[in-house]
Amino acid sequence: MKVVPSRSSEWVRPVTPQKPASAIIEIEGVSQVFQTSARKDHVALSDISLAIEEGAFVSILGPSGCGKSTLLYVVGGFVSPTRGSAKIKGRTITGPGPDRGPVFQEFALFPWKTVLGNVMYGPRQQGVRAPEAEAQSRALIEMVGLKGYENFYPKELSGGMKQRVALARTLAYHPEVLLMDEPFGALDAHTRTRLQNDLLNIWERDRKTVLFVTHSVDEAVFLSDKVVMMSKSPGRIREVIDIDLPRPRRRSELLLDPRYQKYVVDIERMFDETDPVGSPS
Amino acid sequence: MISLAAFARRAAPVLACVGLLAMWQAASLALKNDSFPTAIEAIRAIPDILGDKEALINILASLRRMTIGFGVAVLVSIPLGLLMGRSRAVAALFNPLLMVIYPVPKAALMPIIMLWLGVGDITKTLVIFLGVSLPVIYHSFEGAKAVEEKMLWSGAAMGLSPAQRLVRIVLPAALPEILTGCRTGLVLALITMITSEMIARQSGAGNILFNALDMGQYDTVFAMIIIVGAMGICLDAIFERVRARLVRWSEPQFDMPLSFS
Ligand SMILES: Nc1ncnc2c1ncn2[C@@H]1O[C@H](COP(=O)(O)OP(=O)(O)O)[C@@H](O)[C@H]1O
Ligand SMILES: [Mg+2]
Repeated sequence: MKVVPSRSSEWVRPVTPQKPASAIIEIEGVSQVFQTSARKDHVALSDISLAIEEGAFVSILGPSGCGKSTLLYVVGGFVSPTRGSAKIKGRTITGPGPDRGPVFQEFALFPWKTVLGNVMYGPRQQGVRAPEAEAQSRALIEMVGLKGYENFYPKELSGGMKQRVALARTLAYHPEVLLMDEPFGALDAHTRTRLQNDLLNIWERDRKTVLFVTHSVDEAVFLSDKVVMMSKSPGRIREVIDIDLPRPRRRSELLLDPRYQKYVVDIERMFDETDPVGSPS
Repeated sequence: MISLAAFARRAAPVLACVGLLAMWQAASLALKNDSFPTAIEAIRAIPDILGDKEALINILASLRRMTIGFGVAVLVSIPLGLLMGRSRAVAALFNPLLMVIYPVPKAALMPIIMLWLGVGDITKTLVIFLGVSLPVIYHSFEGAKAVEEKMLWSGAAMGLSPAQRLVRIVLPAALPEILTGCRTGLVLALITMITSEMIARQSGAGNILFNALDMGQYDTVFAMIIIVGAMGICLDAIFERVRARLVRWSEPQFDMPLSFS
């Protein structure tokens, strides 16, 4: 017997909650289902709706495997969702584009290009003339703290330096939204702290919209205006928490701030409920 | 000391060659066999061959066929391998064909090709082409498959079309692997070149070699082996220098230190 899909479900689906007027990214009812080898469907995202305000720093926080990367890839246009859609400035996202700049945990630099060559790649592709692209890129390299390394190849750099190059390479083509997928996840604690500080400093200059994936609670609280908590299987949004802390943020002040501490403790508790010890992963 | 180490590195291949020739000389003197000339006799025969206009023309004809066969094979195989590595459909189309051709010794196809295309240049060049193609396709395929997806995504976000990504990201990223295939291909080109001339005896270095064998000129036979071997070593050395320059960005920076001195 053929089951007629019920139309009523479309009517009862909750509309995007408190959609701000100035939303640059709108994620509407996005589900992502992967076919696993065992012919069993694996639901990575189920019915995610989220609006992201222009100029906001938004973190997506959740345990490993809850679909954070998948959600970011949908916004990036690298994968197309099974159901629902994502929009940028009202236009439905159908593929990658220079308005959305990814920064990956794996850096994904072009190893055959020098630091300068990597950073110039985007502007040159957009048709910026070589001298101009070079001048802009040199300034960006200086901004991310790599002056003097312009002619180094990626293999000659440490992990933290590679991620600085990756950030400069993406900033170089002026995306409207930065999509960062655990960019500091592969770095040691000290390097990570430094890059968090530098990222905040850079971000506070031009306040680009940032969608930042992380599984670290204090990283999310330290950086963000808003933390989107996801829970595991099937990937859903559990809670959206506004982080009401003053900017510019200084790490040394923030760590002593009881409001910061409360955010971290509260979210950590929520995290533990979402991903209890011994839960099947 | 650095200069001593550098000297040792330079001298090592020369020492190996001298050692080999010395062993040859000793073995030949010990065996006293007509069909096994001494190293010195063979080396003495080299100037005679290289001074002979007919022989030189033959050797150059061999090199020309080899260059064309190798060049065309590389030009066809790299794009095909890269496409196979990035497109499941293209891979599915060509994989069965390649799997059938792969284990067949290319020289074994020569009788058929000779039947269709004669014993001339086309047949021999085609056999060289077949010999070179497979390793180059295989390595290009593996290289393209291994290209990090996030690298391609980064390019896509910058606005590169799929074709641009293939040429400007997959090709350079896979270049170290591709050149490994080409290096194997170069040696195979030399091997198939000689083999094809053994089968279709009409011209070429292989032809000189086997004519000399028929006439019992064993010093010429061995001299030709030295000449062909030297050609192979030179071509490989030149290729290796070019390769090292092209993929400097991917090589580990320093030799592994053998001692802490
Ligand atoms: N291409 C894919 N094919 C099948 N399953 C996938 C694929 N990508 C992700 N998944 C699965 O979807 C879930 C969410 O993955 P991901 O978005 O990478 O999670 P996170 O980034 O939060 O760790 C995981 O269980 C993962 O195994
Ligand atoms: Mg992830």
